[in-house]
Amino acid sequence: MAEDDKKDQQASSGKEAGTLMNRRDLLQGLATVPVLGLFGYALNKQIGYEKAQQEAVASPAAPAAGLSEINVALLGTGAQGEVLLSSMLKIPGLRFRAVCDIWAEYNQKRTVNLLSKYKFDVKGYEDYQEMLSQEKNLDAVVIATPDFWHAQHAIDCLKAGLHVYCEKEMSNTVEGARRMVLAARETGKLLQIGHQRRSHPRYIHCYEKIIKDARMLGRMVTVNGQWNRAVKPDLGAPQRYVIPEDRLKKYGFKSMAQFRNWRWYKGLGGGPIVDLGSHQIDIYNWFLESQPQFVVASGGTDYYDPATHEWYDTVMAVYEYETKAGRVRAYYQTQTTNGSQGYFENFMGDQGTLIISESEAAARGVIYRDVSAPAWDQWIQKGYVSTPRVLGPKPEGGEASLDVRESVSPDEHRIPITFRDPYHKPHLENFFNAIRGTAKLNCPAEVGYETAVTVLKVNEAVDANKRLSFTKDEFSV
Amino acid sequence: MEKERFSRLQMTALVILRVMIGWHFLYEGVAKLMKPGWSAAGFLLQSRGPFADLFRGIAANSDVLAVVNNLNKWGLTCIGLGLILGCFTRFASASGMFVLGVYYLCNPLLIGYFYSIPMEGSYLIVNKNLVELAALFVILVTQSGQYVGLDRILHVWFQRLRR
Repeated sequence: MAEDDKKDQQASSGKEAGTLMNRRDLLQGLATVPVLGLFGYALNKQIGYEKAQQEAVASPAAPAAGLSEINVALLGTGAQGEVLLSSMLKIPGLRFRAVCDIWAEYNQKRTVNLLSKYKFDVKGYEDYQEMLSQEKNLDAVVIATPDFWHAQHAIDCLKAGLHVYCEKEMSNTVEGARRMVLAARETGKLLQIGHQRRSHPRYIHCYEKIIKDARMLGRMVTVNGQWNRAVKPDLGAPQRYVIPEDRLKKYGFKSMAQFRNWRWYKGLGGGPIVDLGSHQIDIYNWFLESQPQFVVASGGTDYYDPATHEWYDTVMAVYEYETKAGRVRAYYQTQTTNGSQGYFENFMGDQGTLIISESEAAARGVIYRDVSAPAWDQWIQKGYVSTPRVLGPKPEGGEASLDVRESVSPDEHRIPITFRDPYHKPHLENFFNAIRGTAKLNCPAEVGYETAVTVLKVNEAVDANKRLSFTKDEFSV
Repeated sequence: MEKERFSRLQMTALVILRVMIGWHFLYEGVAKLMKPGWSAAGFLLQSRGPFADLFRGIAANSDVLAVVNNLNKWGLTCIGLGLILGCFTRFASASGMFVLGVYYLCNPLLIGYFYSIPMEGSYLIVNKNLVELAALFVILVTQSGQYVGLDRILHVWFQRLRR
């Protein structure tokens, strides 16, 4: 105890009947309370600072009040339809009116129930024609049915006066895609194809700022991309919800197994190269600002049972582009037997390398500056890329020296865009904003058509077993 | 308890030490409270050394983990408050020592244990956790709460009540 407390004790014994404690006790007792005040102040400042940082990178908040409500119907509510719906439920200003799916007992019912939980009183249909004729109040329809139905569904909906968001692939045939473009033109309605990376903030940042504006990669010469996925068993169906044969046949399916695994069947889907590859090959066309001239491909059903997997489970394709800057060779592979390194696109130029992916988990979004490239200081200042993390050679035991044949490791910069929303939300928002007239479609039918032509040719190339060529006219309708 | 005689300067130094450690604990606790979904699992799973299995076992068992998470979040905050305000100082210091001891044992720097986790600074057995633990020991035995802190008020009230 401190010396002066002795004085306290002597003093306090003399004033029992008086005050409970003297002023010294109170003051010294509460002397550290202001520290809490200081703590609170510092904490507050810290929180404010962190919030400001987050807002700087976050997407803008919900649009202002007075948003016109859009009446939406869902056509196809299987796995992808569910994904789109969960994004749409986070978009303000939408009113769901109808749900159509041929699997009435399962997919359709589940979606109707889910929407009623969100206070949308929707009607469920099995036949989309019935929906189009009975629902008088629709503005837009979101189509997530199997590829071979896209053309018919989209065209009929456009002709019925609705704006259409159609999942990728645009169609499983070039002819179907062509008819969709023509229908959109004729009716004057909007048709957005679901290549959602076209609205993804990170991709837009990379294209607009890094490639178009700053040309940070220099001259792009090669591209590499992949979608590797591990082995997955075929999709089954719960016994008591099996669709009766006649209904399956009416809608073009030979069996329940085929209905659940349509992506693997010729005439229904296009296999992994179309399911998975079309997203990324679309990015190739976008970032290279051109269409390919040649493609050569190798593929086959190397692993799965060809009876239930008519399309190729492994495809490796090489495209050749003649861009404004020069020739570019772009490699793409997809496999469904191993998932190493997941999915990404890698654009390589003489001054830099860009590795980008939609996946947040892979933490993609890095760009490397080649040592011979000019400094990127001004782009760092402008916030195009982060400050670099230097990856030098690490000498082991201080004795190691690099082999002269190896290139010196380049500096690694991050792309400073974090994205925490569901992947499809920006693209759907773009579609609905275009309906309201406040935005332009990021992937209108013409662009989707270019991608469809580019991608569908790969399957042809695998069959033909030789280099196929594209003509300029092939890409326009 | 012996009553050590310290000068005012010495007691002031002890109070400042106590408040510093308290601030550290308080912010650790508050930061965890503010982070939604914070879990000790990450730290526990990185455990090495003789008690690794015990800590990993805690991380694996979700019921125990939930309790541990809450103890961490609220415990750190309360210890911090206690130390800053000088309130139940001895209890707060003892708990703080226990907490730091547990954190140390999760990754003890014992001779012969080499970890691949890069650490800040170079340590041999003694690291910052142990230093803070020793500092709390000083706080524990010097009753600075009764000099400057709510304990002084409580002490006075308690004395009054006893009479």
